[in-house]
Amino acid sequence: MRYVLIALALAACQNLDVSRSVGARCDMATDCNERCLTPSGAWPGGFCTVTCDTAASCPESSTCIDEQGGVCAFSCVGDGDCTFLGTGYTCKAVDSHGAGAKVMVCRGG
Amino acid sequence: MSRRVVLALLLAAHVAYADESVTASAPPDASQQSIGAELGVATGGRVTAGGVRVAGHYLYQLSDQDWFDGVAAFTFGGGGAECFRNRMDNFVCDHGMLQGGSVEIAANVRRYFQGNDQFWPFARAGVGLSIVRFSSDSVTGLGVPLHLGGGVRASVSDGVAIVGEGELAVGFGVFNHSLGLEPQVGVAITVGAEFRL
Repeated sequence: MRYVLIALALAACQNLDVSRSVGARCDMATDCNERCLTPSGAWPGGFCTVTCDTAASCPESSTCIDEQGGVCAFSCVGDGDCTFLGTGYTCKAVDSHGAGAKVMVCRGG
Repeated sequence: MSRRVVLALLLAAHVAYADESVTASAPPDASQQSIGAELGVATGGRVTAGGVRVAGHYLYQLSDQDWFDGVAAFTFGGGGAECFRNRMDNFVCDHGMLQGGSVEIAANVRRYFQGNDQFWPFARAGVGLSIVRFSSDSVTGLGVPLHLGGGVRASVSDGVAIVGEGELAVGFGVFNHSLGLEPQVGVAITVGAEFRL
């Protein structure tokens, strides 16, 4: 009984890391809350994201990059920060959207 | 002669004590059969439905303190798609506490504890069979929750009582969309009325 309760507690508290807003795998927009960056070399496995104007309009731990009109991607410092997204993702410098500078985000390609 | 009188007094005292203990073990106006209806809130999360809870009860006396408590419960929660494929390509759901819907039938035993003329606390334990549905994600499951709860029954008139209770439901459900076997945890608080049959 104790093990069942522990298993239930762990299941209830599991860290999902990604969400339908940002980070989930996808093939089409209906897999996400808003839009899907379909599977490609740049976005292996597909990447759920939301449209943004500035970094402030992105969820926590993500920033607005200048791609497809401005989309949110996970911020990073090194490649190790991107391993949770799976094979193909590394930490890259890309143009930010709305700030005119480079930002580091997890991305393929 | 005096020994017979003493014996008779002792027997009478024993019978009186026994009668008193019987009447004190459950609400005096609780009949062998009752029906009830309750309304309240159920909270779930992930793959457990939560929302407005409507429940119907059928009570049948099993012993001095215990009643069979058959329940048919319906939960009506909000919508919204909350399932997705994580980076390991597992289908996971992260529904809120008041989302989804369910239909459940459950068999419980209700045991009364010492109360006064009007208020009688009770504990309830049982097992149910539920169908859970999150329509926005097309997720459906069959659950087997165990129930543990308690409450208070207050007599308001002959044959009518007000009941308030809370319960914890833990168990497992089998779901579609490759979710498979998932744990379920929920809490419900309801109030309602019971009527003697």
